[in-house]
Amino acid sequence: MSSSNLAVLALASSFAAALGFVSEANAGRAAAQPTMDKCYGISLAGQNDCAAGPGTTCAGSSKLDYDTRAWKYVPAGTCETIATPNGKGLLKEA
Amino acid sequence: MDGHRTESFVRALKDTGDRPPVGLVGPSDRRFAVHRNTVAIGLITALEVQFPAVLDLVGSEFFRATARAFLEASPPASPRLTTVGERFPEFLAGFEPALQFPYLADVARIEAARVRAYHAADTPRLGIETFSSVAADALEDLRIELHPAVAIVRSAHSAFTVFRMATGGLAPATISQWHAEDCLIDRPEFDPIVQLLAPGMAVFLHALQHGATLATATVAASESTASFDLSEALAIVIGGRLAIHLSTAQRDP
Repeated sequence: MSSSNLAVLALASSFAAALGFVSEANAGRAAAQPTMDKCYGISLAGQNDCAAGPGTTCAGSSKLDYDTRAWKYVPAGTCETIATPNGKGLLKEA
Repeated sequence: MDGHRTESFVRALKDTGDRPPVGLVGPSDRRFAVHRNTVAIGLITALEVQFPAVLDLVGSEFFRATARAFLEASPPASPRLTTVGERFPEFLAGFEPALQFPYLADVARIEAARVRAYHAADTPRLGIETFSSVAADALEDLRIELHPAVAIVRSAHSAFTVFRMATGGLAPATISQWHAEDCLIDRPEFDPIVQLLAPGMAVFLHALQHGATLATATVAASESTASFDLSEALAIVIGGRLAIHLSTAQRDP
């Protein structure tokens, strides 16, 4: 029997091993934290990722610098450390 | 503009003999030359943005001259700038002045795949739960459809290492001997990633991409190299969330 046929025979055990690896890796990643946060009040005019409120549609449409109704994606956990002339970034719309 | 005029206009845009299209009035030579130049610069700049590693490797002067030759040989087929460089890697592979850099076309393939991944649809990806529910006796005939952002680039000339050095991910160093490197390009969230693949993985993923069953893909990968590790390959597919659809329907590959 060729080695490639052996590999197919091992499919079930390899599959089970892979599921094991992945669930272990996922568990080690502290319950799959989102890697990005929506951060309000930090984007410059026209550089928001979305949601700039009334009078605008979406991404890139905010009219004000540091508009607290517009958000930008930032790496998770860093939002409230971002300093702007109007204060720190906000995780909720203000 | 009627068909004949459009054709004449497009021909004049590409014409390096400096002739304006028919039907223009006024000091049209000079004015049209400005437009012709703007179009060329716009396309070359788009290529520079999409192929930063190639630009870094050959330098600005060489890149611009190469880009000009490419655009002349292969003018954009679509008005979308994101697709302007689709055939650039193939052009580089056959462009005589670039043949002194055997890795260049492969590095360009990685960069073209990144651009495609960046603009690929955000199709929902399958998590481990979906795979856990597949019955063991269905595995051989399982077909795994991969995400549209997923691409495989295979190189005989260390293209992954060269790409990483050119884009600042790795300190530049002399590569004393070329070796084969396969890599995976994907966009798990917002930015494309490029990662090195172990031997056999590229064959495996490539087979899945072309609709092969898990058994067929496994045989192909095992035959390509004795060191192919099936559980590692499956872990990349499941853990990397490369899959968007599973099917077990029996049909010819």
